[in-house]
Amino acid sequence: MNITRVMAIFEKDYKEFMRNMMLFTSVLIPMVLAAFFGRMDPEAGALPSELVIIIVGVVFTSVTFSGMMTMMAEENEKDTLRGLLQSPASILDLIAGKSLVIILMTVISLAASIFLIESDGFWSLENIAGLMLLGIFFLNLGIGIGLLVKSVATTSVYLIPIMFLFGFTPYIEFLVTEEDHIARQIAEYFPLYQNLYIYNGDGGAAEFLILLAWVAASLSIVLWAFKRRKSDG
Amino acid sequence: MIHVTDLKKTFGNEHALKGIDFEVGKGEVFGLLGPSGSGKTTTIKLLTGEFRPDGGDIEVNGTGSRHFGRTSYVRNLGILSDKSALYERLTVRDNLELFRKLYGAPKQVVDEVLDKVGLADEKDKRVSKLSKGMKQRVLLCKAVLHKPDVMFLDEPTSALDPTTTEKIHEMLEDLKGEGTTIMLTTHNMDEATRLCDRVAFLHEGVIKETGAPEVLRHKYKRNEVHLTYEDGGVRTVGRDEENSGLLRAALFDESVIDIRTDFPTLGEVFKKVTGKELV
Ligand SMILES: Nc1ncnc2c1ncn2[C@@H]1O[C@H](COP(=O)(O)OP(=O)(O)OP(=O)(O)O)[C@@H](O)[C@H]1O
Ligand SMILES: [Mg+2]
Repeated sequence: MNITRVMAIFEKDYKEFMRNMMLFTSVLIPMVLAAFFGRMDPEAGALPSELVIIIVGVVFTSVTFSGMMTMMAEENEKDTLRGLLQSPASILDLIAGKSLVIILMTVISLAASIFLIESDGFWSLENIAGLMLLGIFFLNLGIGIGLLVKSVATTSVYLIPIMFLFGFTPYIEFLVTEEDHIARQIAEYFPLYQNLYIYNGDGGAAEFLILLAWVAASLSIVLWAFKRRKSDG
Repeated sequence: MIHVTDLKKTFGNEHALKGIDFEVGKGEVFGLLGPSGSGKTTTIKLLTGEFRPDGGDIEVNGTGSRHFGRTSYVRNLGILSDKSALYERLTVRDNLELFRKLYGAPKQVVDEVLDKVGLADEKDKRVSKLSKGMKQRVLLCKAVLHKPDVMFLDEPTSALDPTTTEKIHEMLEDLKGEGTTIMLTTHNMDEATRLCDRVAFLHEGVIKETGAPEVLRHKYKRNEVHLTYEDGGVRTVGRDEENSGLLRAALFDESVIDIRTDFPTLGEVFKKVTGKELV
């Protein structure tokens, strides 16, 4: 990896991101949702933490995960990837440059959404640490799948299930009302639930360890994707 | 500069290249000519490391094909492949700036190369708004801005208008003047005749003939003379002892308006060698 090249790719991808309607609106969607939730019921007091966390889930799936996956898929589809790889840039430079853009956009989208939702005490150190792990998890998913999909059209095949499984996880409480239901017990091990606990102030070593395990799993997806790409030529 | 020996490439059970050999010297412009499907793109992709050979050896600028994946190898190449693409949402300048930075080339090269291909005024246009010919010129700029020692150009002018083609030819002649080694593929015989020091005829994965265009034209000329008469009639006679009287008389015959030896174009030579049209 080379910092000059990473920055060159960052600059290029930042411009591309801002001029890509689909990517650009993905940053706005959570904000619109947050503004809507934030103004929903002023008398009821603070918003249920499940909803706050679902907004977080929307940011991470639509900006972090989907943004990364789409940008990688587009390089593949439009054959610009070939040009980059025929230059001194390596695939790691490319991923690093794109990741920086995605991280920037994620932070903007998340900060604005949390501001609009008027959630107090969101930016505690613990919560930030949890969010960083969650962010790495989604970024890795985006990189891993982005390395394998060949076109932007196929990204939606992955977006929907990932969004429902990992972005809306606490939504299961509205779907399955029975508290000890097996589905709910399983869901509680999903990454977003850990962030919910941490946000509620119930986060301990267990929650962080579970998040770390998800990060490790996502990292192995990235490594596997790299291997598959290599063997494809 | 480029040494290729017994190079083979197979896709499934299709033998795209059946063992080809050629050499390209430093500063030489070498043209690989052949009809569609003859294996031109495959050869270029093997030389740029995009494909791995199934047999034979390649060496470019002292690097063997085992090391083609390395940055140090690609960094000194200028590549214009059949599917090269630009970032459509970005401007011409942004596209070239990206590659300038990736190569660590000096700041002024972007303006320099755009000037050369006549695109100085389109710098701030988005690529999506450019014509096909303009895009191809930008792609050529991208391929040369780091001043590579060796260039691989896959059909640099196919399906382009004459003005763009001319601009690209001028640029390539300049590069040749600066000592760049260039290997290009083409269907266009005039292009090959104008630019190439030597050409190779590729046909069904085999090189059928190699040499300088003029030398090949000589080698395959027929010993015939065409006489054109003022009434439009053409007579072809052998250029030999037997017809010497007739030919001498034709020189002074007022009704003969044109006397021409049979000197084939490169395209005609190709047809003689392979039995196939080039296009
Ligand atoms: N990636 C590939 N997979 C399978 N077969 C391929 C592949 N690339 C090329 N071929 C086959 O190899 C042969 C040579 O193709 P190639 O693209 O090198 O021809 P070409 O001379 O560049 O033709 P054109 O003038 O149309 O560009 C063709 O029969 C083609 O079908
Ligand atoms: Mg081709």
